[in-house]
Amino acid sequence: MDNKTITITKDDLATAIRALLPAYNVYAPAGEGERLAFAALDESRLGAINLTGSPVIPPKELLFPRSESLYTLDPETGAATVPEIAESTLIFGVRPCDLRGIENLDAAFLEKGYVDSNYAKRRENTTIIALACVTSPYETCFCESMGGDPLAAKGADVLLTETKAGDAFTAAFQTPKGLQVKLLWDSLAMDCGSAPAMTEGSKPAMTEGSKPAMTGQHNTLRVTKPDDLPQRLMAAFDDPHWAVLSEACLGCGTCSYVCPTCYCFDIDRESGAKEITEYRCWDCCMFSDYSRMAGGHNPRPTKKERLRNRYLHKLAYFDERYGMTLCVGCGRCIAKCPASLDITEVIEWGGGAL
Amino acid sequence: MTKNNGNGNAINSSRTPAVAHDCSCESNPLVPTLCEIIGITEETGDVKTFRLRGTDGQKPFSPMPGQLAMISLPRTGEAMFSITSQGEDWIESSIKRVGELTEDLHDLEVGDILGVRGPYGNHFPVEELKGKNLLFVGGGIGLAPIRSLILYVLDHREDYLRLDVLYGSRSFQDLVFKADLFENWPGLCGTHITVDAEESCWDGHVGFVPNYLEEKAFSPDNCVAVICGPPIMIKFCLDKLAAMGFSKENIITTLEMRMKCGIGKCGRCNIGSKYVCLDGPVFTLAELDELPDEK
Ligand code: SF4
Ligand code: SF4
Ligand code: FES
Repeated sequence: MDNKTITITKDDLATAIRALLPAYNVYAPAGEGERLAFAALDESRLGAINLTGSPVIPPKELLFPRSESLYTLDPETGAATVPEIAESTLIFGVRPCDLRGIENLDAAFLEKGYVDSNYAKRRENTTIIALACVTSPYETCFCESMGGDPLAAKGADVLLTETKAGDAFTAAFQTPKGLQVKLLWDSLAMDCGSAPAMTEGSKPAMTEGSKPAMTGQHNTLRVTKPDDLPQRLMAAFDDPHWAVLSEACLGCGTCSYVCPTCYCFDIDRESGAKEITEYRCWDCCMFSDYSRMAGGHNPRPTKKERLRNRYLHKLAYFDERYGMTLCVGCGRCIAKCPASLDITEVIEWGGGAL
Repeated sequence: MTKNNGNGNAINSSRTPAVAHDCSCESNPLVPTLCEIIGITEETGDVKTFRLRGTDGQKPFSPMPGQLAMISLPRTGEAMFSITSQGEDWIESSIKRVGELTEDLHDLEVGDILGVRGPYGNHFPVEELKGKNLLFVGGGIGLAPIRSLILYVLDHREDYLRLDVLYGSRSFQDLVFKADLFENWPGLCGTHITVDAEESCWDGHVGFVPNYLEEKAFSPDNCVAVICGPPIMIKFCLDKLAAMGFSKENIITTLEMRMKCGIGKCGRCNIGSKYVCLDGPVFTLAELDELPDEK
């Protein structure tokens, strides 16, 4: 342990988060069961924080909202006004897989030519406090098979890990933004009575019980993903099995909405009398009109082509373009697909193909 | 002049806004700049060419041949079009009426204002084409993207060798850029025009583009073919070009995909790992063969 680590007891979690409220718009998982979601926190909602599960809608929505205005137009002159994106945001409780999802979005939105300005501004203004998965939040989690580590989140500003005794978190500060958080917590330890709970990692308070629980119960779902999966899947491009895989798909789009890496969006406009708003919103490549052109031609006319494109985008195309897999194994799409489609089956099948 | 833009709301086009951008939005690549229509040419019954100049009197941007522009109407939305030509302070795009936005665009008049952003995509490899014979093959509105290259090459005539344009459409009426085809280009390059079926007003060649191409038997020697048109025409022409001895590296075409962002972000226009809006629209046949068959 070094002085970049402190321990926060669970009893003091609310105090620790309260200390962040003046500096950031803080979002954390709150609510119960199906309603668990990243919610904006204020004093009154501190009690609703719930770190036991992982929200169905991943935290990507705080960097890449479901729907956001790109600009507004004056209908009279056509002149455009771009909304300000300036607030300091802090996302608390981001799971390691979702952080890797954000790293996928970073590649898509910030690399290869253009920079997506809305995303870039939000990302810049956002501090991320990750929460290690001492236990897997979903039965369908398979992050370990996808090269993830449920206990690490290198790119996070702060990483919280539940201690073995289960009554506290150790916080590791990993970036300059993370050290800003540490400053706030340090001053808290000095100012208020919670000092004993906010223990500097280097002090003797580090008993056996406050060591991070390194032996959690991790993914039960495992899949074999060979390094040359992209090549194998591409070689199977014309395999009739794609039609079998897609048979049950309803084209509902759930898989994209719950996916921490899906970044495709639609652009449309809403026409008001005084203002025209150009907005973008999440889209899904499983929708039948996704690639239909104005003249009617659709290069992916049936769900077979659409599903193949979706899985190949995740498991081959993105890798080819950005050097990473566009699936972090969060397991949400498997848990939520009404037709029980399972990306691990595609990975297993693709791994055997060639 | 006040003009209805076709969606029930008036754009006051006599009033040029003092500032197109009253904010920091130059930094956002998705925000259009305003352009005024300074000329409209009716090419055919359903194709019009719009000449556009920034409302600030400036050229909106200087595209390379083959590049694209996102053109928008405040109340209807936006779509991607190829830029067919450019001048000192304007760019031109030829637009076929096929859907809601293009309907509304066709209702516009000179003086009306629309939004433009771009230029997007790669472009024809004008450097690599130097010192070559060039064969341009077009069908219908497919001459529009090729025209930007033909005009460029004619502007830099000494850099290129023999030039031939082979172009056809359903009927004489459906031939686009008639002034170029019959007046401007014949002295400067070979022009070989055909229409699909006999008609009284036409005494030129009759027949489909692929057959005419075969008949003409152009030499593949040091020659690059640039082809654009309906998918079915391209398919048959590619067979003919292959039979004539053109290699896949020496056949260039442009792809069309549905597009939304134009900047390689929204994911809409992918073919395999390529985004047509960024990595295309210009590809050699050899490059296309590397991509999944989803065009
Ligand atoms: S969630 Fe399942 S049914 Fe819905 S589009 Fe995705 S794969 Fe198809
Ligand atoms: S594809 Fe499914 S398992 Fe993979 S990251 Fe997306 S939602 Fe999670
Ligand atoms: S149009 Fe958005 S990625 Fe090409």
